[in-house]
Amino acid sequence: MNFHELFAHFGDITVDGLTKGSIYALVALGYTLVYGVLKLINFAHSEVFMVGTWTVLGAYSLVGADEGSGVGILIIATVLGFLLAPLASAGTALAVERIAYRPLRRKNAPPLIFLITAIGCSLVLTETFGQALHAIFGPPFGRAAVSIPSLIPEKEWVNLSWIAISNTQILVIVAAIVMMVALDAFVNRSRLGRGVRAVAQDPDTAALMGVNQDRVIMLIFVLGGAMAGIAAMLYTIRYDITKFDIGFLIGVKAFTAAVLGGIGNLRGALVGGLVLGVVEVYSSTLFSSNWEDVTAFVVLVLVLMFRPTGILGESLAKARA
Amino acid sequence: MRRNKWLGIGAVAISLGLAVSACGTTDNKSGGGSGSKGITANIGVMGALSGANASVVIPSVNGAELALSEWSAKHPDDHIKLVKFDSEGDPAKATPLATKMATDKSFLGLIGPAFSGETRATKSILGGAGLTTISQSATATDLTLEDPSPTFHRVIGYDEIQGAAIAKYIQSVLNAKKVFVVDDSSTYGQPLADKVKSVLGGAVTQSDKAQTGQTDFSAIVSKVKAAKPDAVFYAGYAAEAGPFLKQLRDGGVTAKFIGGDGLYGADFPKAAGSASDGAIVTCPCVPAEKVGGTFAQDYQKKFGEAPGAYAGEGYDAMTIYLKAFESGAKTREAVEKFVDSYEGQGLTKTYKFDEKGDVAAENVVVWSYKVQGGNLVPDQEISLG
Repeated sequence: MNFHELFAHFGDITVDGLTKGSIYALVALGYTLVYGVLKLINFAHSEVFMVGTWTVLGAYSLVGADEGSGVGILIIATVLGFLLAPLASAGTALAVERIAYRPLRRKNAPPLIFLITAIGCSLVLTETFGQALHAIFGPPFGRAAVSIPSLIPEKEWVNLSWIAISNTQILVIVAAIVMMVALDAFVNRSRLGRGVRAVAQDPDTAALMGVNQDRVIMLIFVLGGAMAGIAAMLYTIRYDITKFDIGFLIGVKAFTAAVLGGIGNLRGALVGGLVLGVVEVYSSTLFSSNWEDVTAFVVLVLVLMFRPTGILGESLAKARA
Repeated sequence: MRRNKWLGIGAVAISLGLAVSACGTTDNKSGGGSGSKGITANIGVMGALSGANASVVIPSVNGAELALSEWSAKHPDDHIKLVKFDSEGDPAKATPLATKMATDKSFLGLIGPAFSGETRATKSILGGAGLTTISQSATATDLTLEDPSPTFHRVIGYDEIQGAAIAKYIQSVLNAKKVFVVDDSSTYGQPLADKVKSVLGGAVTQSDKAQTGQTDFSAIVSKVKAAKPDAVFYAGYAAEAGPFLKQLRDGGVTAKFIGGDGLYGADFPKAAGSASDGAIVTCPCVPAEKVGGTFAQDYQKKFGEAPGAYAGEGYDAMTIYLKAFESGAKTREAVEKFVDSYEGQGLTKTYKFDEKGDVAAENVVVWSYKVQGGNLVPDQEISLG
């Protein structure tokens, strides 16, 4: 129990946790959106994130950006990453919904079939990157971890006696919060957002009122995918690495964050993600890193014991119309 | 209530996902050839042939293949086949593969298992079937010293020796007064870190534990930052050491970074990127260019790349089996007897296995390597005296 360490660097450690949590929160949005509307836990979402990280690597090598490149190329590469990663992730999410889920919905398949399909999609996507693309193109695809050039050098922007925050941490946290506020406003204020909430509340009545259900479902997959793509870009900026199965652990954690905050609730995803990230880093500091998963799930169990619907509870369907 | 049901299903699905992803792939397997005279037999080779740590294993498999092809050219009547089994280094995936080899009588020997975890998991299966194993890289100490198996041998020194060598290097070459030790909580990393800690004693100012699969090391990095060590020692594999080192450097830590043979291979510099420059990796393996004869050139010619981790050791392990066949061994018992009493000079060291399956400590060599521009360059032999 390293209390001294925790209190001596409380500020730094908290910022580390918030950075980690922001990425969980962005990925958690994808789980929460799909769950809120379809009551489906989309396990393929972790791979939507994984595709995003590879797209960032592709975008960087497309413009030949490396750690030593000039400022112009760095800016182009970063902007390209922020554009292409969400596009690729949203495209993957949409493809999964069109190819795998929609035919099942047409046939009124029972919920368990959707879950198995989701796991199947997840495996297909990981093996595509771990085996198929490796067989066709060779490295960097394959089962080894691949380093992504860190284009934004770490610099401490805030350096007070009790807290030091680096530029990438600020970027990750601010970008994540901006994206979430934008998504929240979109769902709560726009016309399309009203459609989403209507289908979440009562699909049949929404259809009677002229809401195109399929279009709404496509929209939520695209929105969730885009958020995962942004998360992938922020993740590569912070951790500079990708792997064919990188989505698995993040996916499990993000799903946990969604449940912790109240699944189906957009703001809950934010709260759950941040709480989870901070708890993990605190426990890594107090004990050691091999305890972080244990602590994270103990916290989840404790929260669900007292608040079975998560911290914020209320779901997308119950939000005010 | 409805929601709780869904979460329950979700939990089941997660565990299902884990179970499904634990199913592995197996490589080609076939019976022996159809030689009229001479010997027909299979030698298995098992280890992480794919996965994040495959670069530690594949060169040794290539080395064994090279030894076999050179030998087969001289012995056209014998039909020895090297059959590859990809365990991805995972004990759970290694177990069914070991059972397959143990029950298939055409297998007279195994090169591997390459990692310590899978060796521990499969030792009793292979030992029970009387199948001789010669590991090229399983270095955990307990495999021979605490819980020996009758048929287990290895052509490298164990972690006690490597740990002592690492500690020595940190003290006398790096001149580090304050050392931060991190291990990956694995059966390989933990004992290695413990040995280094016990030798260094008070010089280890702090230590921490990571876990396999971890990519965020911010908590450890801030501990290292606070401790201001001269050197950081990481006991684990490349998949975690890469991002860890990168985040250390991003966090402004300039301490020397040193790792054990788990980082030996191309995967570590690849995962750490430019941050790996100057990092030290130790390995109880001899650099291929220091090995006598034309080995390095022959390897380069056959596989189109310079020999990597344990390539010479893989060659040596195969050679011992081939000598057994030359001596007329045709059964598992005969092979085991031959290997147990084998004495000879290999590419990398002099071999004579003790009753537990280890090579004599005075014949073990540990080398340090430095990462330069993404390549591991031999640095120096760490004297164990």
